[in-house]
Amino acid sequence: MNSGSVAPPAWQCRAMTVAYGDFIALDGIDVGFERGRIHAVVGQNGAGKTTFARAIAGIVRPRQGQILVDGLEIEPGKVRAARDAGVELVHQSFALPPSFTIAEAMEFGTRKHGQLFTASGLARRWTQHLAELDVTADVRSRIRDLPVETQQGVEIARALVTEADLLILDEPTAVLSPSGVERLFERVRRLKARGVTVILILHKIREVLAIADTVTVLRGGRLVAAGLARQALDPVALSDLIIGGPAAQGAEAAVGLAAGAPAEHAVARQTAAIEPIARLEDITTEGRAEAPALDHASVALHAGEILGVAGVEGNGQRSLVEALCGLAKLKEGRIMMGGRDISREDLGERRKQGLRVIPFERNSEGLSLSSALWENWAASRLLAGPLLSYIRPQRLRAQARAAFDRWSVRYAGPSQPAGALSGGNAQKVIFSRELDGQVRLIIAAQPTRGLDIGATAFVWKALREARDTGAAVLMISSDLDELFDTADRLIVMLSGRVVAEFRPPYDMARVGAAMTGAVTEALSEPLTGARP
Amino acid sequence: MSATLTILLRTAIFILVALALCGLIFQAAGYSALDMFASILDGAFLRKGGLSQCLRWALPLFITATGVVLSFRCGFFNIGAQGQFYMGAIAATAMASWLNGMPVAVLVPVSILSGMAGGALWALWPGILRFRWGTDEVITTLMGNFIAGLILVYVTTGPLKDPSGSGQQSSSKPLAAAYRISNSMGLSPTIIAISLVVGIGMWLLINRTAFGVLGGLAGRNPEMLRWQGARMWKFGLASFMVSGALAGLAGAIEVFGPNGRLVGGFLPTHGFTAVLIALVANLSITGTAVAALFFGGLASAALYLPIMAGLPSAAIDIINAAIALFITAKSRMIDRMFSARGKTP
Amino acid sequence: MIDFIVAVLRSGTPLVYVALAGMIAQRAGLWHLGLEGIMIIGCCATIIGIVLTGSYALAILIACVLCILASMLLWFVIEKLKANPIIAGLGLTGFGVGGTALAAQSIFGSQAAVTAPFGAPRLGDSFGAFASLSIFVAAMPAVVALLWVLLRRTRFGLQLAACGEHPFAARSLGIDPERIRLFALCVGGVLCAIGGAELASGSLQIFAQNMTAGRGFMGFAAVVFGAAHPVWTALAALFFSLVGAIGIRAQILFGDAVPHDLLLALPYLATVLGVWISGRLRGGAKGANGFSELRDY
Repeated sequence: MNSGSVAPPAWQCRAMTVAYGDFIALDGIDVGFERGRIHAVVGQNGAGKTTFARAIAGIVRPRQGQILVDGLEIEPGKVRAARDAGVELVHQSFALPPSFTIAEAMEFGTRKHGQLFTASGLARRWTQHLAELDVTADVRSRIRDLPVETQQGVEIARALVTEADLLILDEPTAVLSPSGVERLFERVRRLKARGVTVILILHKIREVLAIADTVTVLRGGRLVAAGLARQALDPVALSDLIIGGPAAQGAEAAVGLAAGAPAEHAVARQTAAIEPIARLEDITTEGRAEAPALDHASVALHAGEILGVAGVEGNGQRSLVEALCGLAKLKEGRIMMGGRDISREDLGERRKQGLRVIPFERNSEGLSLSSALWENWAASRLLAGPLLSYIRPQRLRAQARAAFDRWSVRYAGPSQPAGALSGGNAQKVIFSRELDGQVRLIIAAQPTRGLDIGATAFVWKALREARDTGAAVLMISSDLDELFDTADRLIVMLSGRVVAEFRPPYDMARVGAAMTGAVTEALSEPLTGARP
Repeated sequence: MSATLTILLRTAIFILVALALCGLIFQAAGYSALDMFASILDGAFLRKGGLSQCLRWALPLFITATGVVLSFRCGFFNIGAQGQFYMGAIAATAMASWLNGMPVAVLVPVSILSGMAGGALWALWPGILRFRWGTDEVITTLMGNFIAGLILVYVTTGPLKDPSGSGQQSSSKPLAAAYRISNSMGLSPTIIAISLVVGIGMWLLINRTAFGVLGGLAGRNPEMLRWQGARMWKFGLASFMVSGALAGLAGAIEVFGPNGRLVGGFLPTHGFTAVLIALVANLSITGTAVAALFFGGLASAALYLPIMAGLPSAAIDIINAAIALFITAKSRMIDRMFSARGKTP
Repeated sequence: MIDFIVAVLRSGTPLVYVALAGMIAQRAGLWHLGLEGIMIIGCCATIIGIVLTGSYALAILIACVLCILASMLLWFVIEKLKANPIIAGLGLTGFGVGGTALAAQSIFGSQAAVTAPFGAPRLGDSFGAFASLSIFVAAMPAVVALLWVLLRRTRFGLQLAACGEHPFAARSLGIDPERIRLFALCVGGVLCAIGGAELASGSLQIFAQNMTAGRGFMGFAAVVFGAAHPVWTALAALFFSLVGAIGIRAQILFGDAVPHDLLLALPYLATVLGVWISGRLRGGAKGANGFSELRDY
């Protein structure tokens, strides 16, 4: 396992165990990282990668074990100690106060200069810093106004305000377009040339093999392989390590092996001739910081079709879902469903016409974690009736139990709080609530995010079954492989517009180019969703 | 079940902590804490007639607190019960003086209903500000309390002033004895019946209607309910108005019952105590009934202390405040202690 | 006119100090509804301190120490016991109001107002029309400027704001939001003590039960109105007292035609208006809203 050097690795974890309550997130990890190289730490969702990164950075306190830097132990669970030792972490979901300017965000984490500053001095200081790192942005602009890629650049620049020796990037590629990933990797290689050691937390094999010098694999909180040389690895061997044993069915796609290869069911279906179930016509919405506006977007949704929405996160997908649900204000355009203009109807009325939604955030928008399962389940049907109607909780609990059993939810009882369920089971509860009654249009926003392979397969199966019974499905995902695998048709969103449309077999290069706006109209087929 | 037990024990422990802190304060201020607590216990429950006095204070508090429970459950931090209580009392008194001379069967119900309407309307404007413009209801309802207090002083020194009254205390003309729903001891079958109806009605509303279940979801996670297609303003305005109406009802009861007239600046801590009761009860109606008895006892002790024991009634305010300080505390240590015990090995 | 300015400064200065206390807490991420209680402790401690020690400096010191202790109690309950800041703050307010009444009664044996032989040092004749104002009025602009520098032009100020806006970001850089909030509340305690001292001894040298009469809550409203910016918050507080002074002026001009009690309500109405406007400007309520024990997140 050791790559042959004589000196001990500069950073070392010894028998590190991290637990949250009863849950063991990391179990006795022994691993070392050598100076001046790019190390990848890979694993599935829930393998403990983020916990690993946070433990090294001192944000999470290990229950046992040591962290050593150049042979000296640093105090565990102390960010200060880790930063003194030159460790900096860039979080997956960025962690800078959104109202701060870039300069302020740089300043508040540094310890280099005196306490007092002037506005212009601050700007000068950090403009230079950003320039050194090739981040092009005005240091006076606010964090919340930055595009995702710039924000990540700023986060990395923030991590380098002190002389960091070890930079840990937690899932940095999740929010980037394919070309953004390329630029990130360029930046990482330049940092390596400057002598910075980088640990990249990744979960896509393609990316690991493109950048890493060594590969460390975590599975279920345990160390499976430490410091493998990239040259010694091929994709299949690595995926076996990540998943454990020869890849299970459906697993290939989940770890990104299926790049570009159309799966068996993703064949072009004949749908264009049928009148769509729902149609967004030239929609423009009012944007918000967390949900950029739609800009004259037109989408048609057909019965018996899964329409995939690809795009880098933050390009209007959330506004698209909110517009369909009546939760976003329309500035222009209209939404037709079943031949009627429903633009002015609210979500409750749209639900009565067969609209169902699996929201982006399972734990906040999908479920009330502190409420009982039966209450979560009963919410939609209670809302459909009069508010002052008499209810029998006993009967609702029995009905919920029957529904959960149909969807093979694993749970203790209907009065259990929803927060006690695992991600996959929680998603099943949402499906059992949403795919109930007369369903005509299902919006599934990131339905498999954070789920393991089994639950992912379950979600795909449920959506396909709904499609086969004649419902229209709109599936938003940031995982292209997932979309290639499930979507019957694919649209690409960029800056709130629908910029391209594809049918299977999909071509990774062309979809990726459309996502970044490198090439537009020319490479896509005519937009069937466009205004007639 | 163990969750309920944990909450109960946690509540009990923090109330004890609060009382201990009060004991320290009393001792530091030069009173004997033991004497103080003994006198409070005596004044609240043990003395002759103590229980009926405890009930006299507990019932209006219970009525206001059930309304607070509803709005807190729905996730709206309506801490304006005091102002709604005052406006209810004012509206009821105004209606009664306008209808003066009418038969009892007309005047009393109409006045009490208008008291409820007054409370509901005073809760309505913060609700509208909240749902139309997103104005924070904590500040608006709080300011509403001060404004209502000043309106009360204004009407009792102006429009509704008792011309024969002494200069000492501003108050309205006393109601004719026939219109009163209780004597000045403040306990009567009418008041008990109203409280029972409110208690049962609110229990049904919260536990046995779609509104109650959905309101609970709205309070714990409004986002989730929004994605279910709920019109949040419906829950908001309804819970604001119901809680305002109940506080107004309590105000009307105070006027038509024990007080027999409107007094400037009367019961200035009624609303805050009702908020406390709702929190101590962990927002359950049955718990509210129990907690109302406890705080009703304290309220009756506040009157007893200076007269019978020669101790300052501020002691009761301090106890209430200390309980408020600690009642929402969550100690991970205590939770772990009890949840471990509740688990089967 | 100059009388009017003096009146606004006199009634506005305690409000500015207490609003600044709330502002620091707000920036550090706490809704400070205990201002009222801490302020009245400041009032009471100052007057009793003057009476018992005969030294104004000692009295202020006692007031500061007691207000810091009360702030630390609030901090402990909110940060360590995870209590709801709004309810705990209201509790502390009741604690302060009741406790000061009890203290005054036990020391002086009656519920009547307590007067001190002398009050805060005055500016003196060299200030002309402003001679009767206390030194705290003159110090106020300096305090506002100092806080502006501390909060907007030092790294510590950025760290404090980060704790309020994104505690996770602060924590992952090794900044402890709990400690920063303790600092914020303690500085707030000193400011409340000064505000209370100014209210009790700036002109009248008197302590009466419940004498703060909602000024703490009005200070809190000024924080919301002023978007927790040091200068804007101070201006909002002065605006509230300006409205109050206009009300009194109107009373003098129009007599009983304008009901006195309704004029007293003007600052509260202005507060509601201010919160409404700031809500409209910044798109809705944000902050420690709601009853967190029942919330999912």
